[in-house]
Amino acid sequence: MPPDTPEPAGASRVAIELIDIRKAFGASDDQTTYAVDRMNLKIRAGEFFTFLGPSGCGKTTTLRMIAGFEEPTSGRLLLDGKEVTGVPAHQRNVNTVFQSYALFPHLNVGENVGFGLSVKGVAKEEIRQRVKAALESVHMAHAIVRKPSALSGGQQQRVALARALVNRPSVLLLDEPFGALDLKLRREMQMEVKEMQRRLGITFIFVTHDQEEALTMSDRIAVMSNGVIQQVGGPVEIYEQPANRFTAGFIGDMNLVEARVTGRSGDRLALDAAGSRFDLQSDLALQPGDRCTLAIRPEALHFVDGDAGPPIRFSGTLSEAVYIGTDTVYGLALADDSRLQARVRNSRDRSIPQTGEPGVVACAPSAIRILTQ
Amino acid sequence: MRKMLALYVPAATLLGYVFLFAPLLVLVIYAFNGGRSTVVWEGFSLAWFAEALVDRGLRAGLQVSVIVAIASAVLATAIGTSAALAVVKRPFAGKNLFSTLVIAPLVLPEIVLAVGLLVATVWTGVPLGYGTLIAGHVLVSIPFSFLIVRAAASGLDPRLDEAAADLGANGRQIFVRVTLPLLLPAILSAFLLCAVISFDNFVVSTFVSGVGSTPLPIQIYAMLKTGLTPKINALGAMLIAVNVLVILVVMGRYLKTIRKPS
Repeated sequence: MPPDTPEPAGASRVAIELIDIRKAFGASDDQTTYAVDRMNLKIRAGEFFTFLGPSGCGKTTTLRMIAGFEEPTSGRLLLDGKEVTGVPAHQRNVNTVFQSYALFPHLNVGENVGFGLSVKGVAKEEIRQRVKAALESVHMAHAIVRKPSALSGGQQQRVALARALVNRPSVLLLDEPFGALDLKLRREMQMEVKEMQRRLGITFIFVTHDQEEALTMSDRIAVMSNGVIQQVGGPVEIYEQPANRFTAGFIGDMNLVEARVTGRSGDRLALDAAGSRFDLQSDLALQPGDRCTLAIRPEALHFVDGDAGPPIRFSGTLSEAVYIGTDTVYGLALADDSRLQARVRNSRDRSIPQTGEPGVVACAPSAIRILTQ
Repeated sequence: MRKMLALYVPAATLLGYVFLFAPLLVLVIYAFNGGRSTVVWEGFSLAWFAEALVDRGLRAGLQVSVIVAIASAVLATAIGTSAALAVVKRPFAGKNLFSTLVIAPLVLPEIVLAVGLLVATVWTGVPLGYGTLIAGHVLVSIPFSFLIVRAAASGLDPRLDEAAADLGANGRQIFVRVTLPLLLPAILSAFLLCAVISFDNFVVSTFVSGVGSTPLPIQIYAMLKTGLTPKINALGAMLIAVNVLVILVVMGRYLKTIRKPS
């Protein structure tokens, strides 16, 4: 279960609240599987909130329930404090930017952007002005009479953004909006969208499987797996203090080492991990004999020679070395056949052994996070 | 040996084309014949075209055919489009059975449909005339409008409906502003094809047309019995011209829709 995230002091208005939301699929009498299971979540107004997880984790289903394209099997959904469960999509004050953009192919750019205002019966002159302003804000005013098919992917993305934002929604939903863009363009759009969100102060709810994208853009991230939120927190918290094995393994590169508690005295645990024995400070309620997992970032590990250096050591055989530019990633096969990755800045350091030779890596106690679930 | 084979394919193709189009070509050529014969060339003339256009029987038949073609095409396109949209966009039980039944008239022998239709009209006491003729033509053209619109509708991105709803459009607005404009080329193609099918129809027409509502094909067939003149060739040439035009429009639109990048 996800731990409670402390609300920051002076917590602002809640934009969206999900209460015990479940969404069943492939339901049969004896076995029901849930795309989203018992989700409880509060998203604050003005927040850039991201659902992050691998495909099939339920993040898009969650977004589609907020948009109103799908109804939860059970649970309640509150938008600006008002219950919207059962309210159809066209009556919700949220707008969506689709992964495939979903621009209307028979309408030109201006008509696409003006669609939402037009169906709501806004006066023609006001539509004209707001469409123009919205397109200018995404630098697409020059393309107002062009058809979507004449635009590049990035340009279509901008138009899709303008089409959603021109309606001044209280919440903007973005479903993997940069999935189809190449890396450089994606970076540009990330910056631009983040900047736009700061400027407009609208709640953005973002869905992505790209952890780097989530970390760089979000105020808070919900890491999801198998329809369940694994952890909710800010990017730094998610990266540095993963709550469980899933989050630890999903966000960035991480060594997960199985360990056994061999003793306890006060707040110090004696551990045995892959043949290494050492003490760690911990307030977790672990007893001798319990099993746990140690999470260590590859960049926290260094090769050591002799007794100098950090106290926690793992020895094994160097099985591979992969050069990745500034760094080299080394694979170390430990005594119990598990493997450790160490990411080391390239230098003229001769202390690093050759592939096939024995080696010792070490890290500071503070670099290790003990996980029990 | 290999050379013989290399010649065989184009030769067979050519023969096939000759078999298909030679009769039509002869028919069109003799439409311009100066004499009364449909087999002996007696000089160039446009007289038979004039004759065909002033013939009262043919003109009456043409009028019936055009009215029935337009009316039945409108109805068949509307019904076929509704059925296609239901099948593509809405979940309901028995969808496959429903689709099969809609296109059943395509595979059933038309003569059976025609007899059935006649029996039904006799039973219900509906007088034979425009009504029965239009109903019969609607019956045989629904499968075509259904198949054409269904193909186009299933090619539409379902996200477009969601995007429209997301932007505040209700069901009617989505239909009028998104679905209908996007399907319009297909609906027009369906309409034209249904009109042509009705215009050409012979079997059903034979059974359910009444006095005063004899469509053109049956009128022509009746004329054949009293003697063949190039008047019929002239009429045939004009019908071919109209049909080819319609088919070209339909095909052109169809090719455009399937070539459009998704």
